[in-house]
Amino acid sequence: MKKFIIVLSIFPIFLFLWGGLRPQEVGGSDGTVGVEVCKGCHEDRYNTYAISTHSKKGIPNSPANKEGCETCHGPGAAHVEKSGERGVGIFIFSKKIADAKSKSAKCLSCHGETKDLSFWDLSKHKVSDVSCDNCHTVHSGTRKNLKATQPDLCNICHRSIRAQQNKTSHHPIREGKLKCTDCHDHHGGFGPKMIKANAPNDLCYQCHAEKRGPYMWEHPPVEENCLSCHTSHGSNHAKLLVSRVPQLCQSCHDWSRHPGTIYTGFETFRGPSKSNRMFARACLNCHSAIHGSNGPSLRGKTHVR
Amino acid sequence: MYDRGGESMKSKVFIIVVISSLMTFLNVSAEEMKISGEVSVTAQHLNIEGEKAKFNEYRDIRDGFYGDFDFQYEREKYYIDFKGQDVGRKTQSYEFSGGKWGSFKYDFSYDQLPHNFTYGAKTFYSGVGGANLTYPTHPPSTDISTWNTFDYSLERRNYAGGFKFELLKPFYFQASLSKETRKGIYPLGAAGTTPGGIAIELPAPIDYNTDNLKLEVGYNKNPLSLSMSYHYSRFHNDNSNLNFRNPSTAITAATTDSFTLPPNNDYYKLGFQGAMKLPWNSKFNLDLSTSSAQSDATLFDSYVSSAGVSNITLSDNVFNGKVDTQSYNFVLTSNPFYFLDGKAFYKYYKKDNKSDRITTTDTTALPATFENNLFGYQKEKYGVELGFRLPASFYLSSGYTRGQIKRDREDIPENDDDIYNINLRWSGLDFMVAKVGYERLHRKAEFEYPSVTGPTDDKNIETYVRRYDAAGKDRDTYKVSLEFFPMEDLNFSLGYKHKDTNYKDTILGLQDDKRDEFSVDADYLIMKRVRLFGYFDYEYVKLHQFQRQFPNNLGLDDPALAPTTNAYNWTVTQTEKNYAYGLGAEVFILPKKLTLRVQHNSVKSDGFADYSYLLGTNSLPAGRTQENIDISAWDNYRLTNFLVKFVYDLNKSLTFAAGWAYEEYKYDDDQYNEYQYVPGTSGSSGAYLTGAYNDPSYRANVFFLSTTFKF
Repeated sequence: MKKFIIVLSIFPIFLFLWGGLRPQEVGGSDGTVGVEVCKGCHEDRYNTYAISTHSKKGIPNSPANKEGCETCHGPGAAHVEKSGERGVGIFIFSKKIADAKSKSAKCLSCHGETKDLSFWDLSKHKVSDVSCDNCHTVHSGTRKNLKATQPDLCNICHRSIRAQQNKTSHHPIREGKLKCTDCHDHHGGFGPKMIKANAPNDLCYQCHAEKRGPYMWEHPPVEENCLSCHTSHGSNHAKLLVSRVPQLCQSCHDWSRHPGTIYTGFETFRGPSKSNRMFARACLNCHSAIHGSNGPSLRGKTHVR
Repeated sequence: MYDRGGESMKSKVFIIVVISSLMTFLNVSAEEMKISGEVSVTAQHLNIEGEKAKFNEYRDIRDGFYGDFDFQYEREKYYIDFKGQDVGRKTQSYEFSGGKWGSFKYDFSYDQLPHNFTYGAKTFYSGVGGANLTYPTHPPSTDISTWNTFDYSLERRNYAGGFKFELLKPFYFQASLSKETRKGIYPLGAAGTTPGGIAIELPAPIDYNTDNLKLEVGYNKNPLSLSMSYHYSRFHNDNSNLNFRNPSTAITAATTDSFTLPPNNDYYKLGFQGAMKLPWNSKFNLDLSTSSAQSDATLFDSYVSSAGVSNITLSDNVFNGKVDTQSYNFVLTSNPFYFLDGKAFYKYYKKDNKSDRITTTDTTALPATFENNLFGYQKEKYGVELGFRLPASFYLSSGYTRGQIKRDREDIPENDDDIYNINLRWSGLDFMVAKVGYERLHRKAEFEYPSVTGPTDDKNIETYVRRYDAAGKDRDTYKVSLEFFPMEDLNFSLGYKHKDTNYKDTILGLQDDKRDEFSVDADYLIMKRVRLFGYFDYEYVKLHQFQRQFPNNLGLDDPALAPTTNAYNWTVTQTEKNYAYGLGAEVFILPKKLTLRVQHNSVKSDGFADYSYLLGTNSLPAGRTQENIDISAWDNYRLTNFLVKFVYDLNKSLTFAAGWAYEEYKYDDDQYNEYQYVPGTSGSSGAYLTGAYNDPSYRANVFFLSTTFKF
């Protein structure tokens, strides 16, 4: 706590740098032609704007309270004068005409002053040239103006994650009960892999609070990182484990007697040497308190109580 | 099994409150109001053979009706949104939100989520669902037809509410409260006696409550963004222990064994985040937080053993757990020139374990006196990332990260990581983006040799073991992808990733981990009438580990020793081949009127474990060969589904849909095949199982008919 306060107190130093900085000027009303002119040629696009959040006059500073279409696309007079050719004299959110940075800058000019986008600069999306319009469209009435629902939207780019989600052991993502954004800060944050926490365990404990302990008998890899044994997006093995038990446990536990014993097809139900260290849940048939235990003596220490 | 009446009543009260609030608001507002929304009702018929629990793992598909709705109301700057999904099902959720644009907003929500593991499990115990399991006469019956039947499943119910006040922009304040209840039964494995005893599968109760409070205040106006947050979480378990009569001992029903369950805990986190724009299009970002988790548990001073009850002496009968964490992140981002992106960062995370150290004295244990280790660790990471926009539409990025981990652990107390990456992206053509990337992780691990009592101490084996979570390793990752969109209506993409991890210091343990992933995606809209789409994913995983089997206390731990019949090395190579593909078409039979969607998906996994006894000239145990010991079905499964769906838009307000879905799941696994509830009643072949996770295969047909009314 003391260290936390010391570090926190350093921050005012940076406030000295605040002076002299000015918010970027964006847009301007010169050369605007008004919504009706735009609608005259682009009625279908206007109609999709009209059902969007941006068209709501009740929202302070919404485009509807500014220059309408020209709030995002820029003044249209030059565009009209030049026969209205696509992208001529006007800003359009086309991959061929504007790069990701300038497209995002348009959105950030209004949305940049929000908590959600404060850390956009930290986002992996930004450096990968993902712009706001890759996921959002202002020309729709969908929630948060998203182009699709999760996880399909994210899986368009994150195809290997889609493959994981399709596996038999998974979080309820494809069932729609858990969203990518429940765990990940898609607009940027400080966590590894853009997760909404400083460490994987801090994130997992938000839903799995019973794993938080603190326990008397701990299992160090568990306490350090849930991802030592689990994978978050999907697995072929029960409980989202990274590999099959007993091999997963034996990757670390080699000792005399059963931790180092070879368990094969002979130790399964139909084998001649059935072993409760191999059939069914293998090690977990006995050692199920692997996330921690307060059990007595060696029973607690070995996670069987 | 347990009373859910209270929960059901809470959800009804929630719905009534929300609806009455909505109706009240609608009545008082008269002018310039806009009401919109939609309501849908679906009738469903299910025909299923096999395990319903796996089919409905996170779902509630069954015969009957369910509904969805979304009501939106707006009046000038005020708005209300009330939506519900899967109404009438165990997956139902409701969200009521509203507010005044630019001033405040609030939301209330209720969400249900089942997690079904196995239906029709069996046990000889009575009292399932509670914290006391018993059976009348010892030994318990092995005739499973006389056993009690129950379901392994749990249900989460989440009640939440939040409020955000932003009238005094750029300042804001937000608060949220949530309560989650979890009720159900899960399988808990317990050793009968240890070592060498039977395994007992116990139906353990889940009666958890988690309350969360989050508060945040902040300021957002260029060039500064600041926020301070507080999170408090309280976890409560109604059952501190699961008491059960242990069938591996001859004790009476009056003496019960106990399994400790997750303890109650309290957690808080205080955080501060900030970002400040700097000259040269730069930004300084920071994140500071401190948190603490605490628990307490009353400890047992005895335990049940084969001899009866064994007493132990503890330095304290109450364990107070306390773990503090501190986290600091500083990141400077900069884009001083159009062609240059830069980022420099420093991250620090410390977990400080301040729990009680308890000394246990157990005269039957070896050593007789021992104490719990308090695990904590500290991670530091710093690095730099640079990105260059090059001529000809190339973008080159590269980064270096240096990481250090120090942990309170006997074997590997320290890691030093060097991570290098380089990525090249080319977007020189309007219809194509190509990417190639490489990353190398070089991890050094400081290894502490075990302190042993002599050459016959079994702990000598630790000299050769390197646990993969902290072991030294080199990891190379290669990525290539191509996105191709030659026409507005055609998208095509290819991706390949190869990851190769070599645990270079490991003698015993996981030595190699190789993974290949390949994916293809295509989406094609033909003449605005037919949209074809498909994907194919392939993954190959290969893990290789080297192990040693040896008898205790004879000093035969060294893997370099010549093999004997009871002290030898062995290996296992596990492979997984995963295939997944999906094909579909959307046919706009009557544009904007009648649409047909057909879709087929398939996911398949083949797992294999190739064991090898490294016995030299010694013979394998009787009956075994290097071939017949392998496991050919290891989490093998195939999930196949088909969907045929017609959607008819009668007009802008009314839509009808009808269809059929088929899903088949086949599971094949050598560890579960020919499942036995009681494979034996003593020794290491003994177990009293309940059928948990056994045979989850199913085949299901779902017919559905729905109508949606939009207004």
